[in-house]
Amino acid sequence: MISFRDGGAGSAGAAAENAIHTEKLTKRFGSFVAVDSVSFDVPAGSIFGLLGANGAGKSTTIRMLCGLLAPTSGTASVAGIDIARNPEGVKRRIGYMSQRFSLYNDLSVEENIRFFGGVYGLSDRELAERQRETVRLAGLEGRERALTRELSGGWKQRLALGCAMLHHPGIVFLDEPTGGTDPISRRLFWDVINELAQAGTTVLVTTHYLDEAEYCNELVLMHAGRIVAQGSPGALKREVITGSVFEVECSDPVAGMSTLRGVPEVRETAIFATRLHVSLDKDQDVEAAVGALRSAGLTVSAYARIVPSLEDVFIRLIDRNGEAKA
Amino acid sequence: MNRARIATIMVKELRQVSRDPATLGMLLVVPLFLLLMFGFAISLDVKHIQMAVLDRDRTPSSREFLQSFLHSEYFDLKQVLDRESQIDGLLDEGRVLVALVIPKDFGRAVGNGERAEVQAIVDGSNGTTAATAIGYVQAVAADYSQRAFVRSLERAGVTGMKTTIDFQPRVLFNPELRSANFLIPGLIVLILMMTAVLSTTLSIVREKERGTMEQIIVSPVKSMELILGKTVPYLFMSLVAAATILATSRLLFGVTVKGSWLDLSVVTLIFLFGCLAFGVFLSTISDSQQVAFLLSSLLTLLPTFILSGFVFPFRNMPVVIQAVSYLLPGRYYLAALRAVMVKGVGFQAFGDQVLALLVFAAVMGGLSVLRLRRGK
Amino acid sequence: MRTIRFIIRKEFQQLRRDRRLLPLIFLSPVLQIALLGYAANMDVKDIPLAICDQDHSVESRQLAASFLESGSYVASVYVPDAQSAERSIEEGRSSLALVIPPGFGRSLDGTKSAPLQLLADGSDSQSAAIGLTYATLIVSRAQTARAAARLSGLDPRVLRQVKSVRVDPAVRVLYNPTLASRNFMVPGVLAMILMIITTILTSLAIVKEKELGTLEQLIVTPITPRQLIIGKLAPFALISLVIITVVLIASLLLFGIAVRGSLLVLYALSLLFMLSSLGMGLFVSTVARTQQQAMMISMFFFMMPMIILSGFVFPIESMPPVIQAVTYIFPLRYYFVIIRGLFLKGVSFAELWRETAALAAIGVVVIGASVLRFRKRLE
Repeated sequence: MISFRDGGAGSAGAAAENAIHTEKLTKRFGSFVAVDSVSFDVPAGSIFGLLGANGAGKSTTIRMLCGLLAPTSGTASVAGIDIARNPEGVKRRIGYMSQRFSLYNDLSVEENIRFFGGVYGLSDRELAERQRETVRLAGLEGRERALTRELSGGWKQRLALGCAMLHHPGIVFLDEPTGGTDPISRRLFWDVINELAQAGTTVLVTTHYLDEAEYCNELVLMHAGRIVAQGSPGALKREVITGSVFEVECSDPVAGMSTLRGVPEVRETAIFATRLHVSLDKDQDVEAAVGALRSAGLTVSAYARIVPSLEDVFIRLIDRNGEAKA
Repeated sequence: MNRARIATIMVKELRQVSRDPATLGMLLVVPLFLLLMFGFAISLDVKHIQMAVLDRDRTPSSREFLQSFLHSEYFDLKQVLDRESQIDGLLDEGRVLVALVIPKDFGRAVGNGERAEVQAIVDGSNGTTAATAIGYVQAVAADYSQRAFVRSLERAGVTGMKTTIDFQPRVLFNPELRSANFLIPGLIVLILMMTAVLSTTLSIVREKERGTMEQIIVSPVKSMELILGKTVPYLFMSLVAAATILATSRLLFGVTVKGSWLDLSVVTLIFLFGCLAFGVFLSTISDSQQVAFLLSSLLTLLPTFILSGFVFPFRNMPVVIQAVSYLLPGRYYLAALRAVMVKGVGFQAFGDQVLALLVFAAVMGGLSVLRLRRGK
Repeated sequence: MRTIRFIIRKEFQQLRRDRRLLPLIFLSPVLQIALLGYAANMDVKDIPLAICDQDHSVESRQLAASFLESGSYVASVYVPDAQSAERSIEEGRSSLALVIPPGFGRSLDGTKSAPLQLLADGSDSQSAAIGLTYATLIVSRAQTARAAARLSGLDPRVLRQVKSVRVDPAVRVLYNPTLASRNFMVPGVLAMILMIITTILTSLAIVKEKELGTLEQLIVTPITPRQLIIGKLAPFALISLVIITVVLIASLLLFGIAVRGSLLVLYALSLLFMLSSLGMGLFVSTVARTQQQAMMISMFFFMMPMIILSGFVFPIESMPPVIQAVTYIFPLRYYFVIIRGLFLKGVSFAELWRETAALAAIGVVVIGASVLRFRKRLE
């Protein structure tokens, strides 16, 4: 359990303010619009998720909020500081973990910690203290002298998170922090994130793992640079999925999907591994769907109503061709 | 060897290069730019020697003597002095190379047919330039003496003193002794070598640094295929650069190819391939791009400039150093270039150069393949 | 200030980890000086001369002897005719060939002419030009001796009216009495090695972090451009001082060449030179997007031009004015003057103030430009 006695701007009494505020934030690279008029607010101490496929504009948004990219238009403020006017002021108060591993591979664990701690202005005493803390957080006791390049993916991510937190910032930006790691590491990582949030740190995470999105307090779904949906996971599921979702086990899901396209009661079908998720307005309509499948010569071994997941929400919003639906 | 795999690597390499227009531009255009910049600038002719004079005599004879210096294209009058004490400062600062002091009784001595002594104080730092300057001073003085002698003979009525030695110097291959014909080939060697080596020296080590090397090692690509795939695109680019340089040498510097263009192309091809292979080899023994850069620069730039015969003659070098120069491909290519371009001789005259270049290319290619195989 | 210390420490830690780099940085200058210092020798002596004496007279043998005794020539081969002489030049065994025709000795009394031929290898224009100059001097001396001998046969009254003028230049050579080009070349090679190493080290410094992705993490911290640039420069400045020391010791041990001026001045001005050289490399690092680009830019636009155009071997005064103007921004140009002055002339700041000022100006501009160019943004 990590306790921050001197949290940054995001802790203690700032609950009423928004840690992050963006308004019509836009970024253009030449004629390509990477982020298109994005507006959202992040309350202090919450875990906020930016969800979307690769290329949706999540990383670009985070980079703007960290002062790494200048916005083309729109405004945003982090910890009350305007990112366009005072990016250096923002950088002092935040922690950032980039999508690509960006610590020094040719330095040891403790050398990396000492360096970034020093650069953030920690005193020698603070450095020693926080080094112990970070090593513990990352689970790297006994491996302080190991070269960073020798660590495997999960350890590297945790070290990177630790280095981002060395100066106890009130707001932390994590860009796909669990990319490429195993499920257990991912779970452990999210334990850490939860601890941070409980201690009052605001966490903005981007991810394309929809199961991780469930852990966020609030989500923003991005697609092609735009926000297509916003809200808490529960709210999103309730509002986006009208009607019910049934999971149908069928012998040939691909054939089944094309069959169901001809069934008027079926709003949507999607293949989830070997199963079909069928979206219906009314529970009774499942009979029509199953009937159609059987008439087409497919075997239906089971079907049941399920609680929709965020993946269902996502698929509802973005169709087969990758275009956002109205 | 699988041609399809080689082609795939070549295509990937070409695509990477075409996405980096700066590098592409540098490989194709910069060699020409360098040739132009250096070609017009370099010469070994010692001219415009900065001179200061102190004329204590100020007679028509001394003035005539001084004029013979200034009329020659060798000396530029930088400063006229009043006092001898100014000389040391000027020479210390390097403002002039020679200080000429004409003594008070110069005119009288010349009039009486006596020996007149003038003082020449020379900055000896650059021994060669100084020796040349001294040679010029002696030549001008001797010429002045001769003219005065002949005038006095004529006034005395002695005629018919022909010069008795009919001296006919003849320069082979480069009649006007243009240092361009001597220097430009050396310049071409240096530019082509640096371009070729640098284009491949980061190719493999870059992937090592980024961590993508593992994928290549695991793939079925053989070491030889990898090397060919990574080298051949740059071979084409280097050939283009070489062609433009050679054409420009002819057009702008008048360095024509007296010999056969075919010979020239063949030897250039072998040389370039050897340099590219050398770059690849350095790439295989370096762990970081920085080390590759250091190695390639230290092993090619100064050594080729100094040991290839570009400027410094081999016969002056200690035998040990001459032996080292035999390891440099630049030495052989320069000898071949001079043979083909300036002398216009046939293949027999520079056959050993070609052989040496082939050996170099083979060795470098072989070593690279071995190093890559070890990595697998 | 504290931040800078951390950056410097990190740079040293990284340098230590690249096993090949440090030995390369410290040992290669010694090897290069050893190799190139001995090679960079432009003394024109021992020009291989082919001798073809078809006269076999006293006069022809005297002439050939005067060539060989001059110290400038060495007999490469004795050939029977002009074609063999030409062939020895074609094959590169001789640079010049003296062809004395039959009847040369008898032609000297002025009745018949017997042309004396000197063939020169124009492809080596340097040796040819100097070889021809010496040859002309030797021949004209022989002529003068001949004329003086004939003069003694003239009417004594006429003789009294003839003024044999002789102007003799008494030459005093400063700084390098033996005119050994080595004394001039070794400091030059030293300077070039320093320039190459420092430029390479810094030109990849920042762009490497760009390529590997660590720059992103660095610029999201409170670090300022000034801190980063100084932090990147300082380790290499320190390393440079060590390299200078190593190279000085090597020059002394290998060539017996020592500094005539003050060591303190040498270190101070060398450091100044290194800083402007390091600064140039660093500026390239802020401009290039990949290490490959940085390497090519620094090699083709900085290192090669500096080596060829800064006055090491090719005199700047002989260059077209446009190119001479370009050389004013090359730190190496000024450092050549400085280092040769310190090694050969024993000068001090007073004589080198112009070069010192130029180096300082270049250093300030280049480092300042790097700080300004370095943006703490990703694009």
